[in-house]
Amino acid sequence: MSDALGGAALDEASLAAGFDRALRAHGVAAGTRRAATFAQTLRALPPETTRDLYWRARVAMLPSIDDVDAFHAAFVEFFGSLGEADALHRLARGVEAPPRREGGDVPKRESVPPSPSERAAGEPEARRAPTQLLLASVEERLAERAFEDVSDEERAAMLRLIARVRVAAERRASRRRRSAARGDRFDFRGTLRGAARTAGELVRRRATRRRTRVRPLVFLLDVSGSMAPFARALLQYARVTAKARPNVRAFAFATALTDLTPLLRSAADEQLMAALGTAVRDWGGGTRIGASLRTFNDRYAQRGAARGGTVVVLSDGWERDDPGLVAAEMRRLRLLARRIVWVNPHRRHPAYEPLVRGMAAALPYLDAFLSGHSLRTLEAVADAIEGREA
Amino acid sequence: MTNAVDVAALQDGLLRAGYVADRGLATALACAVTLERAVLLEGDAGVGKTDAARALATVFGAELLRLQCYEGLDLAAAAYDWNYGKQLLAIRAAEATHERPPDLYSDEFLIRRPLLAALGATRPRGIVLLIDEIDRADDEFEAFLLEFLADYAISIPERGTVAAAHPPIVVLSSNRTRDLHDALKRRCFYHWIGHPSVERETEIVRLHLPDVRPALAADVARAAAALRERGLRKAPGIAESLDWAQTLQMLGAERLALDVFEPSLGSVLKYPEDLETARAAAAAIVAAGRGEPGA
Repeated sequence: MSDALGGAALDEASLAAGFDRALRAHGVAAGTRRAATFAQTLRALPPETTRDLYWRARVAMLPSIDDVDAFHAAFVEFFGSLGEADALHRLARGVEAPPRREGGDVPKRESVPPSPSERAAGEPEARRAPTQLLLASVEERLAERAFEDVSDEERAAMLRLIARVRVAAERRASRRRRSAARGDRFDFRGTLRGAARTAGELVRRRATRRRTRVRPLVFLLDVSGSMAPFARALLQYARVTAKARPNVRAFAFATALTDLTPLLRSAADEQLMAALGTAVRDWGGGTRIGASLRTFNDRYAQRGAARGGTVVVLSDGWERDDPGLVAAEMRRLRLLARRIVWVNPHRRHPAYEPLVRGMAAALPYLDAFLSGHSLRTLEAVADAIEGREA
Repeated sequence: MTNAVDVAALQDGLLRAGYVADRGLATALACAVTLERAVLLEGDAGVGKTDAARALATVFGAELLRLQCYEGLDLAAAAYDWNYGKQLLAIRAAEATHERPPDLYSDEFLIRRPLLAALGATRPRGIVLLIDEIDRADDEFEAFLLEFLADYAISIPERGTVAAAHPPIVVLSSNRTRDLHDALKRRCFYHWIGHPSVERETEIVRLHLPDVRPALAADVARAAAALRERGLRKAPGIAESLDWAQTLQMLGAERLALDVFEPSLGSVLKYPEDLETARAAAAAIVAAGRGEPGA
């Protein structure tokens, strides 16, 4: 290494630790464990060329291919100061491009821990205060209101109240089994183990039974134009749900798809709003529902994110491009997901008819078509997620 | 720690074992073997993750143990189980002959599954353990694996802890159908196997199918690269390129041409939408495959 790095005799451990810091500055959370591995690698297999150094660093320190761009940047910055910056740049460009995932600029999970006050907004109120009765009347009043035509204070209160909406968690039988007194399959292991207690006599028959697992739940939220307040409400519901059960994902879309899942469990409101803001920024005169669905299907649903689960789509169905694409992608999603629930706040108006072409194209593939515009109707969405009649 | 594995030498060794590895992959494998640490290979289906482990075993003359993951994979299927039927018979036989029953937890009644078997190497680097498609297993199994990878030991309540005299070379593969826990990833060297460059793919096709004409192999590699740029539902992997080259060979083609493109397409693309896309752009893809400019 000394040749490539200008004769600098560097202690491997401090070099690795320094590079870990450089990575963190670029938003890559490698961590000390990986840094230790990197140091060991350098000691056991000292690199002779810059290319070797690059690959040693990458296989030890890169957490995921999604981080590869930031990794290049950190590598060039950190090791570039040791000379050969040009060679490093060429190297970084020469390696294969990572698969593009949209929403790469979403802040990393680790960046800012939420302060207690911020956290309070998203969490269910564990103990009900003595003011419960007073609150109850406020709740009553807010339950029917649409998320859009309310004051800021009222909206804030409504968002808090979303924590009271029932958490939808449909379960399915898992392949994993547990021992039980009664079940549908004989448990050889458990029975014999029990027989040890009765001097080898098989007295008690044990059985196994399937465990259950929570089905996936995915929210696809149209954040363009008039949908924004409703998207905010459903996102809040997604957060509440994600804290109470596993396997919840959320995405925002306008003209492109942004993965909000990493922000669901921990992010402070500001961070979430910033991510939503980024997702909305590219919106101008129409939503690309079909293209966003296609991205979702390609990158996530087909890889199993929606398999056997429920997908909740929030959108008014205004498609800028070809509604034929909406139909084609809905057909694909239909094959991958167990259930599709479409939420369109316009549906609350008695005279509403799904005449918008994107909406009409999606309609044949839906299991439920709901308005979800208020706290009360969110309950119906929760029911629909589990396949119950509202 | 035994001696270090040279990256370039390993790359050559893999090539002799019939596997074309790029520098990054060779580095990941060399680091993993040298530091006795697991390596996690990620990539789309069909880019050669499983074959990398197979080739690695060949290089070290090691035995390859493969554990295919699925949801519900438990210890009884992954690590060890007891042969209950045999135990029961042994008890009954001992009763009938009024003999002392044998030790029911001796090797005789132990069924070794891949993880336990992987601890039984009789020499350094004697076993390659491939934990295939770890993303298909569930969290519970991942948690167990964490423990296994930390000590290369399995504790059997009836027997005590079984530790490896020589740790196995562990290769994990994932298609990324879900994200793995970082705790597991932190313990592994990591490499993303992307789709190969045209040169590398040509090399792979020629290596695997020596009967295929060099020109045809290059055509297939270029055409596969062109197909991957079309935003298909399932872009062809190396496995598909190999099938395609073989199909074209069977059709008697010397080069990729329009008359063999259509009938052979089913060996590369597996979705009707993708077939439609490719048919619509047949001329362009064939031209790209033949290395001809424009179309």
